[in-house]
Amino acid sequence: MKICGSLKKDVEAFKKVLPAEDILTFDFVSEKGLSFTAIFADPITDKELLGEQVIRPLLHYEGKACAQDVGEKITSPEKRTETDLTKLAEEVLAGNPVLFFEGMDEGIIVGTKKVFVRAIAEPTTDVALKGPREGFIEDIKINTSLVRRRLKSPDLRIEFLKVGRRSQTYVALCYLAGISLENVVKEARQKLKEIDIDIVPDSSYLTHFLSSRPYSLLKQIGTTEKPDIFCAKIAEGRVGILVDGSPIALTAPYLIVEDFQSSEDYFVPSYRATFTRLLRLLALIVAIYLPAFYIAGQLFKLQLFPVRLLLTIAGSIRDIPFSPSLEMLLVLFVLEVLNEASIRMPKYVGMALSVVGALVLGETAVSAGFVSTPAIIIIAFSGIGLYAVPNLLEQTSVLRLVMLLAAGSVGTYGIILATGFVLFYLVTAENFSTPVLAPFSPLIPKDLRDSLVKYDVGSLRTRPASIGSKNKRRLRHE
Amino acid sequence: MNKVSVRQLYFFLACIAPVGKLVVMPVRLSAKAGNDLWIPTLLLYLLQAAAVFCVLLLGKRRKSLYELLCERIGSVCAKIVHLLIVCFLLFCALIPLLEQKLFVQAVFYDTLPSIVAFAPFFLFSAYLCSKPLGSEGRAFDLLAPISVVGLVGVLLLSVSNADYGAVLPLFASGAKGIFGAVAGACSWFFDPVLLLLFLGKFEYGKGTAYKGALFYLAGGAAVIFFLITFYGIFEGTAINQLFAFTKTSKYYSAITVLGRVDYLFIFALSLVMTFYTALPLHCAVESCLQAFGRKKYLPTILSVGFNLIFLIFDGLLDYHFGDVLGVVGKLFWIFPLFTLLLPPLLLPSRRSHEGA
Repeated sequence: MKICGSLKKDVEAFKKVLPAEDILTFDFVSEKGLSFTAIFADPITDKELLGEQVIRPLLHYEGKACAQDVGEKITSPEKRTETDLTKLAEEVLAGNPVLFFEGMDEGIIVGTKKVFVRAIAEPTTDVALKGPREGFIEDIKINTSLVRRRLKSPDLRIEFLKVGRRSQTYVALCYLAGISLENVVKEARQKLKEIDIDIVPDSSYLTHFLSSRPYSLLKQIGTTEKPDIFCAKIAEGRVGILVDGSPIALTAPYLIVEDFQSSEDYFVPSYRATFTRLLRLLALIVAIYLPAFYIAGQLFKLQLFPVRLLLTIAGSIRDIPFSPSLEMLLVLFVLEVLNEASIRMPKYVGMALSVVGALVLGETAVSAGFVSTPAIIIIAFSGIGLYAVPNLLEQTSVLRLVMLLAAGSVGTYGIILATGFVLFYLVTAENFSTPVLAPFSPLIPKDLRDSLVKYDVGSLRTRPASIGSKNKRRLRHE
Repeated sequence: MNKVSVRQLYFFLACIAPVGKLVVMPVRLSAKAGNDLWIPTLLLYLLQAAAVFCVLLLGKRRKSLYELLCERIGSVCAKIVHLLIVCFLLFCALIPLLEQKLFVQAVFYDTLPSIVAFAPFFLFSAYLCSKPLGSEGRAFDLLAPISVVGLVGVLLLSVSNADYGAVLPLFASGAKGIFGAVAGACSWFFDPVLLLLFLGKFEYGKGTAYKGALFYLAGGAAVIFFLITFYGIFEGTAINQLFAFTKTSKYYSAITVLGRVDYLFIFALSLVMTFYTALPLHCAVESCLQAFGRKKYLPTILSVGFNLIFLIFDGLLDYHFGDVLGVVGKLFWIFPLFTLLLPPLLLPSRRSHEGA
């Protein structure tokens, strides 16, 4: 529906398109008698700016009813014209007021949206002792500005798309032209455009649509809350996706090795980074397998324990009424409940809960003879180990349970078979035509320099071949 | 996904194929050849390496086995040969499957478990076989270091207990003993036929064929070193030491303090062996698919079907491994027919093709 030029009729038509009660109108007349109507969404428009930059200058307007002349009088740097009422309505809903005036068949959109944002802070899920502390927030414009500040290249492309039939959420597809592979950019753009969903409350909603195996247990899209990591990933040839309203940015293609890397690894000596990466892997392996092997050893193969340890364990489990697998599942269940409750509880109650959970429940359960001390030690260590790679927590906690069930039913051979399943599943998993297990499978020796081991930055001369890039050279050297 | 790199094939030849030869084969060889057990292994490895060379040379033509056979004998005969290969691969799978089952029952459990304890293997194998054969290549990339760690670990814990002089004097068992052992160990050597199914899936580069043969011989060297170590530890009692690689390392002195740390290496080798045991079945599925086309559900149906058949065999032959070994031993001549004869027979068509 188009604007006709009659102020009264246009405002009425607009009200029909957008009948919501929080959409307000403000009528005013210039010194020369030209009538204006500003339409805006009350809660999300900065009325002070509207008055300062639009209404006050136009009260003194002496020219004709011409959009260009009126536009010049408005002091806001963000302004444009539009004739379609539906598009104007969308802008009002986004917080930008629309200005109608008598005798003009165009509306002027003014960028005086009120922005409610929290301050840029260090993300709680990705803390680094050294290196940048900034984290993304919920506003897409601020997030894109954080990216732009780090990548001042004209090759940085930020394509805005709207996703969500009702939420009309802005999604920014970021990539470096000339570095990211065109087919990856095209696939990401295509997948985003094909999303037909009601609302997009968070970026995690999009991962389902961007994954080639949406129901997979394993992650297929990378996530980060830190702009420095986001930019580094883009510079390696990945595409990044920012979603308005979400502090978590997505990156693709995703490699599983990414989650073993931390931003801090790049700011400490390479030997230290290698050590911590291997430590994370070891912690994760122990966290997944330790409870399973403990059960398999007790149930099927006592030789797995050294004799003295076996005697200690035998002493602890002597009076336990449950089978080893049931005991372990029980302790694991308690740990998961404690974990879940402590995250959801208010902070102060959470502390009390930790005391009740860890001290009272654990101590009394052992002294009452319900569970054994080794079981609690193993599950506690396993619980801590999983947090060594927090980005894989959802996946690894399920894997731990799978291994536990395999060990409880078939023993050590069950663990080996389950491992075989997981390995083969991983080697066949691909997203954006990139194997998630690269550079280990398929083996790409050059990329091993920044995988579980970390070479010095001077040795990382080329971009990762696992991802593929049009421009392979990262570092020019003499 | 359905492509493999030559490096992945080298990994298979050098690191994964040897693992299947460390379970029952050493005992069988000791029974026939005594302290000369490494000589028949060397002979078999040299012959097989020549066959591996031929198979990899066929890769130069960038055609699948079915296409090569069609070119040479026509599509109907090619299909018949493929069916024969399928039968051969299923026959090959029998010994590794049964020996792995016995191995699992003996090594992973303190008391004999129920026969269903091994059944989940067929679930794993069916899943593996339903995927394209090329995906095995990526698995080889991961399994190769695991295999190396496992084998090196077991050998390191074993060498201190071995008396390497036990293999002397050479040729003590005579020609009869050595050739008897060659015949007896034939059933563990079918790797060139597995490679045949990878034809057309890799890019032949300069020297691929001889490098492949060398990698295979490198794997053979590891097996021979293990066999000598094994005989050096057990000597006369070697014929009773089934599941050889689980036995050699347990006498390491630190084990009394640390517990059975050697199990870490044994588990690593077991994981590799699980994949290796399923490989003949996977190749059998691939052989059917090459001959009869890749219809939508055919890979799943074939993989479930083959594994179901073996699950039944597994139940029926639970206590008859010795009988199966005897029957396979009598039919030993089938193995060289497919492994040593088939690849060179396919080579001449290459020359005529190039001439054309």
